[in-house]
Amino acid sequence: MSDQDLVVETVRDILSGFEPFALTAERRWDAGLWAALADAGLTGVGLPEEAGGSGGELADAVAIVRTLAAGAGAVPVAEQLLVATPALVAADLDLPSPQEPTTFAIADAVTVHPVDNGDGPGRFTLTGTVPDVAWAGVASSVVVLAPAPAGIEGAVLALVDASSLPATDAANLAGEPRGSLVLDRAGCSGALLSAAQAGEVRARYALARAVQLAAALEQVLAWTVQYAGERHQFGRPLGRFQAIQMELAEMAGEVTAVTALTDAAVQALDRGEDVVLAAAAAKVRAGAAVEVVARLAHQVHGAIGFTQEHKLHHLTRRLWSWRDEAGSDLAWARVLGAGVLAGGPDALWPALTRVV
Amino acid sequence: MSSDSLTLTPAPRSDAAEQVRAEVREFLAAELAAGTFTTHVDTWLSGVDPAFSRKLGERGWLGMTWPKRYGGHERSAMERYAVTEELLAAGAPVAAHWIADRQSGPNLLSYGTERQRQEILPRIAAGECFFVIGMSEPDSGSDLASIRTKAVRNGDGDWVVDGAKVWTSNAHTSHYGIVLVRTAPADPAHRHAGMSQLLVDLSLPGITINPIRILDGGHHFNEVVFDQVVVPGDMLLGEEGNGWHQVTAELAFERSGPERFLSTYPLVAEFARRVADSGDAAALATLGRLSARLLALRQMSLRIAAALDRGELPNIPAALVKDVGTTFEGDVIEEIRKVVDVTPSLDSADPLGRALAEAQLHAPGYTLRGGTNEILRGIVARGLGLR
Repeated sequence: MSDQDLVVETVRDILSGFEPFALTAERRWDAGLWAALADAGLTGVGLPEEAGGSGGELADAVAIVRTLAAGAGAVPVAEQLLVATPALVAADLDLPSPQEPTTFAIADAVTVHPVDNGDGPGRFTLTGTVPDVAWAGVASSVVVLAPAPAGIEGAVLALVDASSLPATDAANLAGEPRGSLVLDRAGCSGALLSAAQAGEVRARYALARAVQLAAALEQVLAWTVQYAGERHQFGRPLGRFQAIQMELAEMAGEVTAVTALTDAAVQALDRGEDVVLAAAAAKVRAGAAVEVVARLAHQVHGAIGFTQEHKLHHLTRRLWSWRDEAGSDLAWARVLGAGVLAGGPDALWPALTRVV
Repeated sequence: MSSDSLTLTPAPRSDAAEQVRAEVREFLAAELAAGTFTTHVDTWLSGVDPAFSRKLGERGWLGMTWPKRYGGHERSAMERYAVTEELLAAGAPVAAHWIADRQSGPNLLSYGTERQRQEILPRIAAGECFFVIGMSEPDSGSDLASIRTKAVRNGDGDWVVDGAKVWTSNAHTSHYGIVLVRTAPADPAHRHAGMSQLLVDLSLPGITINPIRILDGGHHFNEVVFDQVVVPGDMLLGEEGNGWHQVTAELAFERSGPERFLSTYPLVAEFARRVADSGDAAALATLGRLSARLLALRQMSLRIAAALDRGELPNIPAALVKDVGTTFEGDVIEEIRKVVDVTPSLDSADPLGRALAEAQLHAPGYTLRGGTNEILRGIVARGLGLR
């Protein structure tokens, strides 16, 4: 057993009490699942105990995120455990309670002003619209990455209290809240980041989505293999037909590729390496697999998989959304292309072998 | 879940592999500067250069994982991975020794007699002895168990071989073949029984090697005809009747290496030069997408190298690497064509046009050699529990 098996088992136990459901504007997240995870201390894993977390390693946090992604858990755990709170810890900012959901958002169009209230640096006001906020209206805090105040290089990482901020009703293809928040001279604590540090935070966000994609892709493959074994047509299981076997094997190839690269990127993060290109690669590779895996999963499942009566949509709709979140697929493909060319085209191969 | 047999644990980091990688890079840069080779696509099939192979042998980069008493260097599969990957990325001429180093040597280590090992392995490791694979026949492709080449013992205890093998890469520049033969009549109830592997010296009387030209006119493939060829009795490899099992074991080595996704890497490298010159955003994204696929394949292949170091023979993950990897090798051509203006020609003054032409004319082979992708997906489907 790996060190993470117990964590996975605990999360699965909890998940078994909360069936995935189709998210709507009336019911936009699984508050009960969140409460159960928070009670078990799982929403603070990977965070130092002195900062109010539950301790544990990055690998534990990743295992939790993977398990919840595979189970289509409608809770902001990936954002909280893998992006928002690690970014706060790295910036030496105080953490909100891990019992309350904290999300992360990129706010390129927000203007930031420093506030000098006599207590020294670290207070800012933020003004503008933050679009595509994961779990907007659900999360009580939002860690925002915004451009630094005029005249300063880099970015500001700020902790915004979202409990009283209205959010628009937008959602992604799976119904997960992705509304906008409007900030009007919102006062908050924050820290200045260098451009490189800001890039690492963005990469963490992309890697978090890649981890979720990898787990959901694996689960979709498992469901499809299981369905092909159970569903009979022409007097035998679908999985006995060679045409279906070819499709399932193609799915398995995609899933294996995504897992291998995502695991390697997570390990690089754990070693403290610069993971911008590794995260870009993992995200782009996972995104490419979505097309194949979701298409073939639906093809094998037939009409029932095209309805909300079957569970498949909980993951395929998330896959179609996650691949373009935390930076679009195209944006990360360009980052990776530019990154491996940074040393000139003659150094492409050495650059590739350094990514992970 | 049922796909557990497809997954392997991540490869550990290997400082030794990075060390030897740097040495190989330095060697290749010097060789390129000296003009001893020029970069081409798919050189592990078409780049036969015995002098280059001997140089690799002198540096200890052949037979790397084998015991020292057989001329090997007792290094890890991870180190060997780094060496082979660097050679392929540079498009270096590695075809002469490729099969011997990759699978014939390991096959001899697993099944050879002490004398066979002593005589042959040190010469492979020195880059002086080259091998061919004797599996496919004119009437037996994917259905390997249907081979008809037969070996019958004569009164002296030697084997008399009759039949023909095809697609035998570089038989005309190699010394030995490991030839799969029927040593007992085919039994429809036990299709995999009655086959054996023979170590055949390709200079023996009765062997005729006929060239088969591939699409670009290159002579790499051959038909090797055996007419009453007398193979000494002690050249049986492994056990009589165990040929099918031995062939299957060989395939884990054959299917998982970086040559299953780097055959067209020199084309990607040329494409990168064009992208750097043009700065075109779509081409840059394509380079990113191709890079992401390549990086995932490296991790898959590295996991297998690590599994080989643990003494495992991961046949199903190896089949997956080859399926995904060889598909990528061909896709490279189409992805690049979508974003750059280029006309493929072997005579092009444009290196990108030449690389594209080489890659295109070799493309049908990528997803056929070493087991078609349909056969591989059947193996994966078995791993998924479907058959």
